[in-house]
Amino acid sequence: MANLDHIQREFFKALLLPLRGSSRISTELAETEEGHSPEFFRIADEIIKPGPSLTSAERLELYHRQYWFRTLDSLAEDFPVLRRMASDELFWKLIERYLLERPSQSFTLRHLGEAFADFIAASELLDDVQRLWFSSVARIEYTFMECFECAQGARPEAEDLADGIIELQEHVKPLHLPVPADLCWDWQHFNEATKPQAVYLAVWREPSGRSRQERLEAAEFPLLLRLKDGVKLDELFASLPEPVPSEEEITRWFAKWHGYQWLAVRGKEGKQELDSSGGWLGMDRMSSQAVAME
Amino acid sequence: MSHPRFTGGVTLGTGIGLRVPHYDHILSEKPTVDWFEIISENFMVRGGRSLAVLDTILDQYQVVQHGVGLYPGGAKGLDMDHLRRLKDLVKRTKTPWISDHLCWGSVDGSMSHDLLPLPYTFEAARKTAENLRIAQDILEVPLAMENVSSYAEFNDDEMTEWEFLSEVTEAADVGILLDVNNIYVSSVNHGFDPLDYVNFVPADRVAQIHIAGHSRYQRFIIDTHDHPVIDPVWKLYARAIERCGPTATLLEWDASIPSFEEVWTEAKKSEHWREWIIQEKGVNDGEP
Repeated sequence: MANLDHIQREFFKALLLPLRGSSRISTELAETEEGHSPEFFRIADEIIKPGPSLTSAERLELYHRQYWFRTLDSLAEDFPVLRRMASDELFWKLIERYLLERPSQSFTLRHLGEAFADFIAASELLDDVQRLWFSSVARIEYTFMECFECAQGARPEAEDLADGIIELQEHVKPLHLPVPADLCWDWQHFNEATKPQAVYLAVWREPSGRSRQERLEAAEFPLLLRLKDGVKLDELFASLPEPVPSEEEITRWFAKWHGYQWLAVRGKEGKQELDSSGGWLGMDRMSSQAVAME
Repeated sequence: MSHPRFTGGVTLGTGIGLRVPHYDHILSEKPTVDWFEIISENFMVRGGRSLAVLDTILDQYQVVQHGVGLYPGGAKGLDMDHLRRLKDLVKRTKTPWISDHLCWGSVDGSMSHDLLPLPYTFEAARKTAENLRIAQDILEVPLAMENVSSYAEFNDDEMTEWEFLSEVTEAADVGILLDVNNIYVSSVNHGFDPLDYVNFVPADRVAQIHIAGHSRYQRFIIDTHDHPVIDPVWKLYARAIERCGPTATLLEWDASIPSFEEVWTEAKKSEHWREWIIQEKGVNDGEP
């Protein structure tokens, strides 16, 4: 008799095998003539008992399909702009290859795309230009997800600004990207002729729960990085990072950060106010529910 | 009737799953609902609107946590980080009990995001019970294990699913979340009499019952939670109530979700079945 560990390893190995044959037709992956591998049938025969109406392989295939349908759909939902830029065929190839190389490592499907940007940056399916742009788009889109579930810190009061350690809210993420990938949000198709100029961005969660992105000025970025680590304001002003901003710039940026509610006080928990004006899109990501079969 | 140690001494009637399409209705209309069940993993976050919604719901309703990621049947034990996050949420919700599924779902940290079936072996029962005892100690609230719907059985099975469920819950001394729809789905997929299952379950451990709809295909049934409950499942429910007595009952509707009113009306049908079985059979505390 096989032990529990062996059965689970074999079952899991089968789940991760590529989607094939008729199962594939129910997805947006390119069709293939290939059926299941001999490995899939070997595992099914070794561990799964045939049922009253399904063979061992057909029973295993139900789980295999559900694994793939669920992860493909979830990842596609998280990267809509990348999908539009890459076009469907290339997008689904990237997703499939990513999932084959890197199965989910988190309890939640929300984190499924956590390594997608790095994967794209090294993907042989893409040329150099695509790698730069598509990985930057994926980085922004995954950062949206990260902001969605970050903690809310307390906003600083006047006395905190004098004495407290001021830091960026966890749900504000400064990004330095090699290309102006934020432009893709306004594009219907990828414009590869656009100059690949590095940009600084902030991605953050609004009080309504919606994630937003906005360009940062070059000198604003290092200041935000200092705040990300947490700093007393008098210490920050005593040793401003290069390039040293003017007093007018600092005043303007602080006014903006305050208006956007980007700043927090270390060690004080904030309360996320309930604001339903942004709708509820993306609020649940249940796993473990069966997927309807086509 | 369920022993109070499996329900934290809390008696609940009819509940429904807290689902996003109903948020606006619930927050604005504040409908009368006995309790809401939440999927724990959707709220295991550090902040943001999920927790803001949950806190608002908690101000007005009883919430019971239902998880999909404990994976107590894992051969290599439990994920302690997951348990810590779960415990943080338990402190927030003050759930009277916490349920999850009698299944496994990951290997070496890679996740299936599915409720995978266990082989019904004595080794699997021992290992699962050991994991559940650890989880129970850490979480410090009563645990209830739900029977999953399944599409496969194993060559190495040494007992039936209902024997396995009893073996594990008794060895771990945890409660049962009896999903009568899952019993029906598995009975069709595996060719057994679902009444054999319901009649065998240790009734005093049943802390909660799930009802749901499913999708029937030509050669199998999939547990899709996207339809009303069918009559054969209501009849299993009635038999479960006959054996267990009045038990907290929850309707699951997770896909193609209709209006709040439609879901709530479907859930309330369980009350007619409960009243009918209590009047017809004179059931009060259950007749195991």
